[in-house]
Amino acid sequence: MTATVPVSAPRAAPVFARSTLLLCAVLAAVAASVPFWANSYVTSIVVRALIFIMLGQAWNVIAGIGGQLSLGHGVFFGIGAYGTALLFNEAGITPWIGLWIAAAAAGLCAMLIGLATMRSRGVYFALGTVVISLGFEKIARYVVDLTGGDAGLAVNYRGTAPALMQFREPSAFLWIDLAVVVAYFLFTRWLLHSRFGLRLQAVRDDEHAAAASGVNVLGVKLSGLVVSAVMTAVAGALHVQFYLSIDPGTAFGLFQAIQIQLPALIGGLGTAGGPVIGGLVATLLTEGTNYGATLLGVRGGDVLVYGVVLLGVVLYAPRGILGLFRRRAGSGA
Amino acid sequence: MIQALVSGILLGGVYGLFSVGFSLAFGVMRIVNFAHGEMVMLGMYTGFLVFTYLGLDPLLTVFVAPFLVGGIGVLAYLFIYRRYVGRTTLQQLLAAIALALILQSTAQLVFGPETQAVRSVFASQYLLLGPVFVSYAQVVAFAIAAVCVLAVEGVLRLTRWGQVVRAVADDAEAAEIVGQNAQWVNVTAFGLATGLAGLAGAVLVTYYPVNPHVGFVLMPIALIATVLGGLGSVGGAFIGGLICGVVEQLTSAYWTPALQDIPLYALLLLFLAFRPFGLFGRASAH
Repeated sequence: MTATVPVSAPRAAPVFARSTLLLCAVLAAVAASVPFWANSYVTSIVVRALIFIMLGQAWNVIAGIGGQLSLGHGVFFGIGAYGTALLFNEAGITPWIGLWIAAAAAGLCAMLIGLATMRSRGVYFALGTVVISLGFEKIARYVVDLTGGDAGLAVNYRGTAPALMQFREPSAFLWIDLAVVVAYFLFTRWLLHSRFGLRLQAVRDDEHAAAASGVNVLGVKLSGLVVSAVMTAVAGALHVQFYLSIDPGTAFGLFQAIQIQLPALIGGLGTAGGPVIGGLVATLLTEGTNYGATLLGVRGGDVLVYGVVLLGVVLYAPRGILGLFRRRAGSGA
Repeated sequence: MIQALVSGILLGGVYGLFSVGFSLAFGVMRIVNFAHGEMVMLGMYTGFLVFTYLGLDPLLTVFVAPFLVGGIGVLAYLFIYRRYVGRTTLQQLLAAIALALILQSTAQLVFGPETQAVRSVFASQYLLLGPVFVSYAQVVAFAIAAVCVLAVEGVLRLTRWGQVVRAVADDAEAAEIVGQNAQWVNVTAFGLATGLAGLAGAVLVTYYPVNPHVGFVLMPIALIATVLGGLGSVGGAFIGGLICGVVEQLTSAYWTPALQDIPLYALLLLFLAFRPFGLFGRASAH
């Protein structure tokens, strides 16, 4: 595996990448300071945004950088959330450790899913992940003794207990989640220029050409999926610690799997900054439509907004918000 | 056992009808229409509207729903899918999901989130065949489905248009070179594919309750039936639909209705892993 890898995706102009980095650093600093000047309601929204961004960053690894459309990320998210909660409730294992066990389980599950669906045409992976999502949701609703069924599972709450990753105030979650988002951002930046990341991009751009250049296509796709699944499971664990409950629809539902795609798509697929920018916009969008829907008393309006935004982005801005700026910067130079 | 088999086959016939449409869109244009279930849903609501507001039998909509839904399909093709013809890309799959969400939420805003049922004249009539108990509505639905699939198969094999469609499905570029306008073929084929979904919806609603999210229940079935039969194969998709119906009913009778689709999902994964070209597909294709 020492063959050189063709990279057809043009790298972003360095000037621009630097300004995105700067923007993200400013955003991180602002986010970290939120608990000092805002109330806990605003802090909670920021935590929600950070989890959304994290999920987008995780999905972006396999879908944006690797070009494989996963509709099954709800599965990894759910394994992270249910796994961490169950390990704590049933076995008393602190989420700080349970998180890693759940993440490993999600990685293993990703490996099996990938082995079953990634060997042939790309479209089969998307089709396979749809039914895996649905299957997990149905089973989670059925095994009531373990998962609590439709009603969901509540994490045993002990008040503020740092050793159990439980805090009464959302600020602690904000700092933990922010640290993970920053780590994911730096990881994605590294990945884009790493040997492994270049192989992923080569597979995305042209599987046959990549294979002809000596890339182990299945191996690269599988590793990408496993990395992405582990990242998603960590987000699931942080989600369940913050909300203290999880239910089958939130964890495994097809709609959840679709929602996970929004940050990267809106911000810019396959970039490090995209999921961050897109996650912020998507959170504002969700909060705004939820608020509007409650105000007007309509149900289902939020999904309509999602659908229209998703279609608009896919048809008219396939490279997301960052892509729009990049095109303009490119044509101006 | 026989009861589950018979009702499985009857339900499976209708599954087969919309799966044929799903398979056709993939075979000719390489379009995976994740919004196919929503096309069935629109057909079901057409029957619901005709029943509720005109007081007519929902089954009469079999003459309207295919054209209505086919028309919506043509619009979807022209405005969305046209740019993705020939290669299934991430963008195409996402666009289809977005369309599904838009149709679903619009239906929810218009018709409300409730599950609603209609009553065809056949709904309360039952037929006793030895130990087997079947409703007329299901028999009529199956008969319509079977006739339509045979008709589609016949049109594809015997007419000039059908030959062109099959030629484009085999090799769009070569068909273009010998003077067949692929764009026109694509529009009509996509209209037919979605029209079949609308038709399936119109017959399905006579005994299967409708809600705005029914598309996400039916789309996986179309997908599984299509993969079982071989992506792109019309007859294969129909057989795949029958298999789905039978497996569902058997699981529901002998295990639990709550998990009636789980064996189907497992079956799909087995096929993806070991026989991705399906029962009737060609191993060499693509």
